[in-house]
Amino acid sequence: MKKVPTFLRALTVVMILLVVACCGFYFYWNEASARSSCESCHEIENSSIMWARSGHRDLPCKECHGTALSSGLHSLQEKGMMFVHHFTGTGPRQITLNERQVLELTENCRRCHGAEYARWISGGHSATYAAIFLNDKHNAGEQLNADCLRCHGMFFGGAIEDLVTPVSTKGPWQLKVAGQSDLPAIPCLACHEVHREGSPAVRAGYDDPAKIFYYRRGSPSNVQWYDRYEKIHIRVEALPLLKPREGTRELKVSDDPRQQVCVQCHAPNAFHQAGTGDDRTPRGVHEGLSCLACHDGHSNDSRWSCVNCHPAISNCGLDVTKMNTTFAASGSPHNIHFVRCIDCHTKGIPPKHGSRLQRADGTHSK
Amino acid sequence: MDNSSKISRRDFMMLATLGVGGLGLLAGCVQQHPADSAALSEGDAGLVGAMADRIIPADAWPGGRENGVVTFIDMQLDGHYRRFRSEYRKGLDAVTETCLRRYLKRFEALSPEVQDSFLREMESGVLRDGEWKEGFSKRFFEMLRSHAMQAYYGSPRHGGNPNYASYKMMGIDYPPIIGQNRYGL
Repeated sequence: MKKVPTFLRALTVVMILLVVACCGFYFYWNEASARSSCESCHEIENSSIMWARSGHRDLPCKECHGTALSSGLHSLQEKGMMFVHHFTGTGPRQITLNERQVLELTENCRRCHGAEYARWISGGHSATYAAIFLNDKHNAGEQLNADCLRCHGMFFGGAIEDLVTPVSTKGPWQLKVAGQSDLPAIPCLACHEVHREGSPAVRAGYDDPAKIFYYRRGSPSNVQWYDRYEKIHIRVEALPLLKPREGTRELKVSDDPRQQVCVQCHAPNAFHQAGTGDDRTPRGVHEGLSCLACHDGHSNDSRWSCVNCHPAISNCGLDVTKMNTTFAASGSPHNIHFVRCIDCHTKGIPPKHGSRLQRADGTHSK
Repeated sequence: MDNSSKISRRDFMMLATLGVGGLGLLAGCVQQHPADSAALSEGDAGLVGAMADRIIPADAWPGGRENGVVTFIDMQLDGHYRRFRSEYRKGLDAVTETCLRRYLKRFEALSPEVQDSFLREMESGVLRDGEWKEGFSKRFFEMLRSHAMQAYYGSPRHGGNPNYASYKMMGIDYPPIIGQNRYGL
């Protein structure tokens, strides 16, 4: 048999060594602590420090972010370019996730937070790009603009012109990016910072069950607001407090800080007049309630929340779910967000009675 | 088959062992954690912070140092403001040398009143000795003041003004709460 040239033999040895070295390095990188792997890139250091103080600190990076091979060649190329940028000094000081990575992470959230994911997918906040940006009625009523992306598609890497065409009130509209239409426009990271400060959940101590409540540690709110322009999450405590007005009167608003995330998108006009724009600040009989007093944070469902304050056997003796409001029927003139006693009691509020009987149509005897 | 053209099992095991063993050396490639400052030394950062605290003193709201002026300047000197590095180097050294010569103390150790007096001299351009030739003190002060203001009132993404403290001071909501113009309930 013909003898293999020496340089080929050497090349083979080098290639084998290279493969072994790469594999070894890959496994080392995946198994090593963040301190001696991911965090050694200064671009990731800040995120890593935050993670070390978070409730997710027991999870290694790869649990949520995957490995260099999780997304095949794409992520391999991306990680490779990170090395190039790192050593050439052309990279950013702090790297951020692109939309594709955010959505991959969303799928990883699902592995542990399946119930929350199920509620999110069944609610309005799982709307897709197509549902949001190809809505004829909406697009004809308000010109598409850059600020749309503040609340929908906040992780989209381009401008509104890169996403939809035409950017006008006259359609037909279509998305410019292939494969974008079915992607969720408001993923988990829109309202959650996975690296936020917190503590991993632990089993309560049962030595003195009566005192479990007092040993329970308070933790910061688990919602934050992702600011597309700054590419950072802002803590609810740092978000501005909406002080909406009804005419000239300043409304009472809940002191639930989580509501400050809701009002970022469900916001009134620039004059902060309650009920304008997308504002849903409770007025009337529900003034002062937090959005989350009625709405589930993930599904936004409020179907089962009435009973929290209005049990069937209540002081008023009414089944509020059957009253003539938008809760019972979408066509009702009495919007649950601002229905008032006077809306039904047009001749004045009657004095309280010990017991009142409710009729089948939801009204009640005087 | 000519066995001499193959790598023997013994050779393969030896080379593979060496290769895998060599991976241990890769740990040495792991970069040491950088200092908190990218462009400024610890001493420089202390001096810039002390000057920033006199340019924007704390009251009910944070002063320059607390509101991220040092971080901003450090970050920008490692980025877009790289061109000002030599000016900073020269200016900070000149401040320290002048203070040591005059007061036998570094600027940071001076009382606030003396610090203010020294900064006023810089601002007016009356300092002429040593490095302070051709109005450099005035130029350096103006640059530092300008950068301090950018840090204090700018976006946190540039390194200063953490949590939008100056926005809150001025009563400006950030992010602004403005909804759509289309829907009414």
